[in-house]
Amino acid sequence: MAYLTVEGAIKRYGATTALNGVSFTVAQGEFFTLLGPSGCGKTTLLRSIAGFSQLSEGKVSLAGTDLLAVPPHKRDIGMVFQDYAIFPHLTVAENVAFGLKARKVAVSEIRDRVAEALATVRLSALSERLPAALSGGQQQRIGIARAMVVKPRLLLMDEPLSNLDAKLRLDLRDEIRDIQRTIGIAAIYVTHDQEEALAISDRICVMDGGSIEQIGTPQQIYGQPATRFVASFVGTMNLLSPTAFGLPDVPGVAQWALRPERLRLAEAGVAEPGAAGFTGLVEHFTYLGREAHLTVQAQGHRLVAQIAAPPADLAIEAGREIRLGFVRDDLHAFDAAGRRVRTELSA
Amino acid sequence: MSAVVAPARRSGWRPDFWTLVAIGAWAILIVLLLIPLGLVLVSSFRDESGQLTLANWQRLFTSTRYVNALVNTLIVGFGGLAGALLLGSVMAFCMARIRIAGGRLISMMAILALVSPPFIGAYSWIVLFGSGGIVRQTLMGWGIFMPPIYGVWGILIVFAFKFYPYVYLLTSGALSNINRSLEEAAENLGLTPFQRVMKISFPLVLPALSAGGLLALIHAIADFGTPRLLGRGFNVLATEAYTAYSAEIGSNLGMATTLSLVLILMSMIFVFIQRYMSRRNVYHSNLINRPEKIRLRGFANVAAHAAVYFIALGGAMPAIIAAIYSIRKTNGPVFQPGFGLESYSRIIASLGDVVRNSLLFSGTSVLLIVVIGTLIGCLVARRNTAHSSLLDATLMVPYVMPGIVVGVAFIAAFNTPPLAMTGTAAIIILSVFIRRLPYAVRSSAAALRQVGPSMEEAAISLGYSPVQAFLKVTIPLILPGIVAGAMLSFVTAVNELSSSLVLYVGGTITMPVKIYIAINDGDYGTAASLSTILLVLSGTAIYLAFRLLGRDERALL
Repeated sequence: MAYLTVEGAIKRYGATTALNGVSFTVAQGEFFTLLGPSGCGKTTLLRSIAGFSQLSEGKVSLAGTDLLAVPPHKRDIGMVFQDYAIFPHLTVAENVAFGLKARKVAVSEIRDRVAEALATVRLSALSERLPAALSGGQQQRIGIARAMVVKPRLLLMDEPLSNLDAKLRLDLRDEIRDIQRTIGIAAIYVTHDQEEALAISDRICVMDGGSIEQIGTPQQIYGQPATRFVASFVGTMNLLSPTAFGLPDVPGVAQWALRPERLRLAEAGVAEPGAAGFTGLVEHFTYLGREAHLTVQAQGHRLVAQIAAPPADLAIEAGREIRLGFVRDDLHAFDAAGRRVRTELSA
Repeated sequence: MSAVVAPARRSGWRPDFWTLVAIGAWAILIVLLLIPLGLVLVSSFRDESGQLTLANWQRLFTSTRYVNALVNTLIVGFGGLAGALLLGSVMAFCMARIRIAGGRLISMMAILALVSPPFIGAYSWIVLFGSGGIVRQTLMGWGIFMPPIYGVWGILIVFAFKFYPYVYLLTSGALSNINRSLEEAAENLGLTPFQRVMKISFPLVLPALSAGGLLALIHAIADFGTPRLLGRGFNVLATEAYTAYSAEIGSNLGMATTLSLVLILMSMIFVFIQRYMSRRNVYHSNLINRPEKIRLRGFANVAAHAAVYFIALGGAMPAIIAAIYSIRKTNGPVFQPGFGLESYSRIIASLGDVVRNSLLFSGTSVLLIVVIGTLIGCLVARRNTAHSSLLDATLMVPYVMPGIVVGVAFIAAFNTPPLAMTGTAAIIILSVFIRRLPYAVRSSAAALRQVGPSMEEAAISLGYSPVQAFLKVTIPLILPGIVAGAMLSFVTAVNELSSSLVLYVGGTITMPVKIYIAINDGDYGTAASLSTILLVLSGTAIYLAFRLLGRDERALL
């Protein structure tokens, strides 16, 4: 059931169009991610829902009521900012209490709810500190607590983890997901990090150039990319010409695509049914422990292969010839416009 | 991608309010700046009877007197610039890179040099090195001849010591912010220490150096008091403009305005040259690996300390002399041996209204500056439109207008109805207001840009209306900056001399004007004690500003 509905959202800045007719719905309690490269319109869309940016055209409704008629401060939508936007002149506890005060919540209740929120983000010990002394991760935890504690109708997050270092990003990512599930709030999350989107979302909306490319679960987005853009943006994709490696020329197929992890070492020369094999020249070999990355030149293509759990004695020098193979069922097919095509060869 | 949206579009009341602010800002600029400047321009093309004429401009370029003044202004301008650059960069290098004992004392003395009341600087130099100066007489007693400090060299020495803090404060900041890794990288790539300084360090501090130099240059060509007291026949445009305006017989407003225009044009040209020079040179470094201060040994250490203390004491000397002379025993205007508080009791007895005038005028203009400057600052910072850029650019004009020019322009504009204000307190307050307004606008706009729009947006998303968000989040965040700016404006306002000198009448005399008159009358005790009071007032204001802002001497510029 649709909780938030965005219909035909268009945003123009002078001659440029930042949003080009975007429509989607978000269900109650759903974690919905807007994913795309910078400039794709995802932040503009988020800010339009928050009310910090006005749509040129289109409708946004929340729980059945028109959202665009409501001024931003009355929308009751929590927001977590990329630059944290923690008030530096207020203590941690005062920051979290800020929204409750606007809602004229009783003092004793404010105290309890702030304490609870700070406990949730594991900042209870720092409640009387000023934010300047805290790390980026701690500041963003305040930001999350501050947005959640008012129990908003919708939670918006604008690249909340992009200013944090990698390890912290993983930890906080899981924390955000847990908190959102516990509270059961609908959340819209903006990111340009495809791995983050896959890890955190119920559904992902991939955007490019102000338009939606695909909306789907992480499995659909990764496993059945609707367009060539989605295929290359989410994860890595080897793009093959229509008749490469002895593939049959299928009408309507302008390009084949194959995930690096679907390429396997075929030195034993075992021919499986439906498998294709070829010989290539190793350009790079990178051993990463749990996997190994290979860059291979073959038949005018530069292919990337990921070998899971590489054997300990696997050491391939650059310049060496190597035999690789793949199963035809793993191929994706795209037409000349970059849209997914169903063929007998590919899923 | 993140859309920057003017707050105006968020709710109904703001466009009206900020439009009003914009209209008010332009009204102020038109009445207090553009009309006076326009009349200055018109007046320079009129003779005494009001006929259109090119005579003033003709005289400017043909009369030896004015050609000399023009050349002399350039001499003291660039001479002062050279002196300030030399002293300032030596000081900056030593303070930023070498461990100097008593660093706090040094920077206090630099501040003292910066806020010393005008005139008292020149006067103190006369006390020591004038014809009857203590140092000169002592040396002559030992049989060493020393020329008195009067003339062009005297002016240049005073300027060097008076204006070096501009270069020092800006450059030392830049020097201690150069990423150490850059210099190490240069060293690693095989550059000799000298090459390293010339190819890495110097280009990186050049913007700061040229900005400091520009301040010294503009202040040097605008300075009126020093050439007036020390020049002895060596006249510059500022003194000639004042003479043309104030001559008892044959007061010539047309000539005064012509000279004023030349001064403005000169300052403007220098500002543009400096901007052109440093147009590309804005370097930001996020990762600051601050350079370490090295500890020198032996002769080098002694030499560095000697240089730093020599410069610092030279700059602070006028203030120190003034403080000492203010407690010398006096009998009327004549100093007696020993110490006493006669000068101060004379101020309390007969000059109370001068002190009161100064405090009242400065206080009022600071209040106006803060309120109006903050509003315009918000407008400039939050509405990034062509209109606000034009406003910002127009505000650059009073920034480079010498005080004497503001005085002459206000006389030209407000001597007759509809706005006859000459002789009132209002005209002095407004002259200070318009000169200092650009600083307040810039500092509040800068403070506001620091806050960033997401702070207010966070408050709005939590349920506060835009007005509440501005009051609850933005104002508390920029308040320390505003108050500190007010304190620094107070320092300039209370020390303002040259425009007040043109605009004052008996009832609106201020402390700096009284100091000027007292020195001219030979009443040095009064001058010294009034100067000391000014120093104490300025020092208090600076102390408060530093408490609020954190200690940053560069805020004084």
